[in-house]
Amino acid sequence: MNDALIVVIAAQAVTAAVPLVLAGIGETLAQRAGVLNVGIEGLLLTGCVAGFTGAALSGCAWSGLAAAIVVGALLAALFAWVTVVMRCDQIVAGMAINLLAVGGSGTAWLVAQGHGYAELSANAGFSRGIVPGLSDTAQAWLRDLPFIGPLVFDQYGLALATALIAATAWWVLTRTRIGVIIHALGDAPDACAANGIAVRRWRVGLVIFAGALAGAAGAYLSIMRTHGFSPLMTGGMGFVVLALVIFGRWHIGGLVAACLGFGVIDALQSHLQSRGLNAVIPYQVFQALPFIVALIALAVMRRGTSGPRLLGQAWPTER
Amino acid sequence: MRRWLVGSGEFVIAIGAIVAVIIVVLTGLALLGHPPLTVLTTWFQGAAGSGTRFALSLQEAGPLLLTGLAAAVAFRGGVWNIGAEGQFLIGAVTMVAFGTVLLIPGPGWFSLPVALVLSTITGAAWALLATGLERWRGVPVVLSTILLNFIAIAVVGMLVQGPLHDPTTTAPQTALLPEHVRLPVLVDGTKLHLGVLVAALIAIALWLGLKRTTIGFEVQVVGLNPDAARLLGMPVGARQVLVMAVSGGLAGFAGAAQVAGVTGMLSGSPISYGYAGIAVAMLGRLHPLGILVAALFLGMLSTGASGLERRLAIPHDLGDVVQGLLVLAVLVAGGISARRALRPQAEGT
Repeated sequence: MNDALIVVIAAQAVTAAVPLVLAGIGETLAQRAGVLNVGIEGLLLTGCVAGFTGAALSGCAWSGLAAAIVVGALLAALFAWVTVVMRCDQIVAGMAINLLAVGGSGTAWLVAQGHGYAELSANAGFSRGIVPGLSDTAQAWLRDLPFIGPLVFDQYGLALATALIAATAWWVLTRTRIGVIIHALGDAPDACAANGIAVRRWRVGLVIFAGALAGAAGAYLSIMRTHGFSPLMTGGMGFVVLALVIFGRWHIGGLVAACLGFGVIDALQSHLQSRGLNAVIPYQVFQALPFIVALIALAVMRRGTSGPRLLGQAWPTER
Repeated sequence: MRRWLVGSGEFVIAIGAIVAVIIVVLTGLALLGHPPLTVLTTWFQGAAGSGTRFALSLQEAGPLLLTGLAAAVAFRGGVWNIGAEGQFLIGAVTMVAFGTVLLIPGPGWFSLPVALVLSTITGAAWALLATGLERWRGVPVVLSTILLNFIAIAVVGMLVQGPLHDPTTTAPQTALLPEHVRLPVLVDGTKLHLGVLVAALIAIALWLGLKRTTIGFEVQVVGLNPDAARLLGMPVGARQVLVMAVSGGLAGFAGAAQVAGVTGMLSGSPISYGYAGIAVAMLGRLHPLGILVAALFLGMLSTGASGLERRLAIPHDLGDVVQGLLVLAVLVAGGISARRALRPQAEGT
C-alpha cells in the first residue's frame, strides 16, 4: 500500500515542502512585524553553504546544522541592523544580502573545494529517519506503517521539527499576547510604542529568528536532501517562499497549506519527468514551473486586507 | 550654495561607503594572507593597467550603466523593478532572433537600429507584464519582477536550445550575429563598441529629462509621494507605467547592445548585469551622472577582480560580496547623513 503512487507523491511533497515551510514561518513572523526581507533567498543559500562546510569540516552533521543556523542568524542580524536600527530601505538591503550571499557562498565553496572538502564523509550528512537515536528495527517499523509511515516517518529529522515549529508559531500568533504584539508591530507600531513595547528590539529579534530558520532550511537542502553543495543551488526558492507567504495570507495555516500544495506540484512534475515527459516537453518548462505557479497563485488569489498594514516601512517614520 | 552642499553630500556618502568597503575587504584578504598593497596594485593593473585593460573596464561599464539607469529610473519613480536581469535577457534574445533568424531586410544602418529598438520594446514589454499584474491582480511588483527573471531565464534557455540554436554545434548556444548587425568597435584591437557611448549619452539625456522636463518632475514627485502627486492632479498611474517601460526598455537595450557589441551570441552561461545594476544605481545615489561614475567603478572592479583571480587566485565571486557590501554601506551612510542634515531643524521646531 505504501508503494501506491498517491502515497509516494504525497511523501515526496512533504519532503519538498519542509524547507519552504521552515523558511516561510520566519518570513511570515518578520513580515507580520512589518519587516519585508527579500534577502531570504540569500539566507537560504548561506544556510546551504554553511551547513555543508560545517558538516564537511567537522565530519558531523549536527555541527553543520548548527553552523547553518548561526550563520543565517548572523546575516539576518546584519540585515536587521541596516533596516531596523539604521532604518534603511528594506528591499534594497534585502537585494544586497542576496548579492552578498551569492558571492560569499561561491567564495566559501571554492575555498572548501581547494582544501579538499568538496564531498561529505559518510556520517556528515543526515539520513532519513525522523527520531534520532531510535533503533533501526523501530525506525523500520515506523516507516512501514501504512500511509503515515512514508508521509511522516520516512522523512528527514527536520521535518518533524518543522511541524512542531509551525504548530508553535501558529499557537503563538493566534492564541497568545506575543502574537497580538507581533501583529501590532506591523499594523500599528506607534500604538506598540505607546504601550511600552520596544518596537525595534522586537523587530530585530524576529528578523534574526527568521534568519536562523532560513539557515536551517538551507542546511536541509545541502546536508539532508542532496548531501552536497553547488553554487546557486537554491535557484530562486527563497523568492518562491516570499510568494507562498503572501499566498498563505500571512497565516501559518495558510502558509503550510500553500507549501504542501506547492510540494505536490513539485513531486508531480518530477514524477512526470521521470516518466519520459521531458522527452516531449523541454526541460526549461519544468525549470520555470515553480515561478509560473507562484506568479499565477498570486494573480488568482482574492485580495483581502489580511496583510500587515505597514509592511516594509521603517519605524519611526520621521528621522 | 545649498544645492551645491547637497550635491557634495551625496558624493561624500558614495566615497565614504567605497572607502569603508575597501578597508573591510582588504582586511579580510590580509587575514587570508594577501598583503593589501599587492592586492591593490594587482587589482589596478587588471582594471586600468594598460589601454586594453581600461577599454575592457569601459566595455564592462556599458551594460552596468544601462541596468543601473534602469534600476535608478524605476526607484526614483517609486516602482520596485528588480527585474532588470530578465528584461536584459529578453532584450538580448530578441536581438539574436532578429539578427540570425527573423532577418530584417536592408543594409546594416537600417536593420541594426531596428533590431535594437525592437529589443528595447520587448524588454519594456516584459517589464510591463509586472505592471499589468499589479494593476489588474494586485501582485506586488517587487515580487513579480523577481519571479519573471527566473521565467525569462527558462524562456531564453528554451529559445537558445530550440529555434535559435546554432545547427553547426551541439553546445547550447545561438549562431553568431552577422557582421552587419554588430555595433561598430570604437577602438581597434578592443571590443569597446558604440553601445557604450550611446549608454553614456542616454545617462546624460535621462539626467536632463528628470531635471528639466515636466514629466521628469512628475515622475520624481510620484516616486516620493504618490498621494501628494494625485492631489496635485498628476497622472500617477500613467507615470508609473512610463517609468516601468523606460526601465525595462533600458535593460532590454543593455542586453541587445551586449549581444550586438560584445558576445555576438547567447549561450547558457548566466549573466548578472541585472542584479549588479541595483548596486550601480545605489552607489550612484540614483543620479544619472553619479551612475555614470559608479558604472565605471564597478566595471573596473569586475575586470580588476578577474586580474586578481588570475594572478593571486582570489575567487572572482568576491566581486559579488563587494557589490553587496557597497550597497549596504551606501544605504547606511545615506541614512546617517540624512539624520545629520535634519537634526538642526528638529531643534528649531
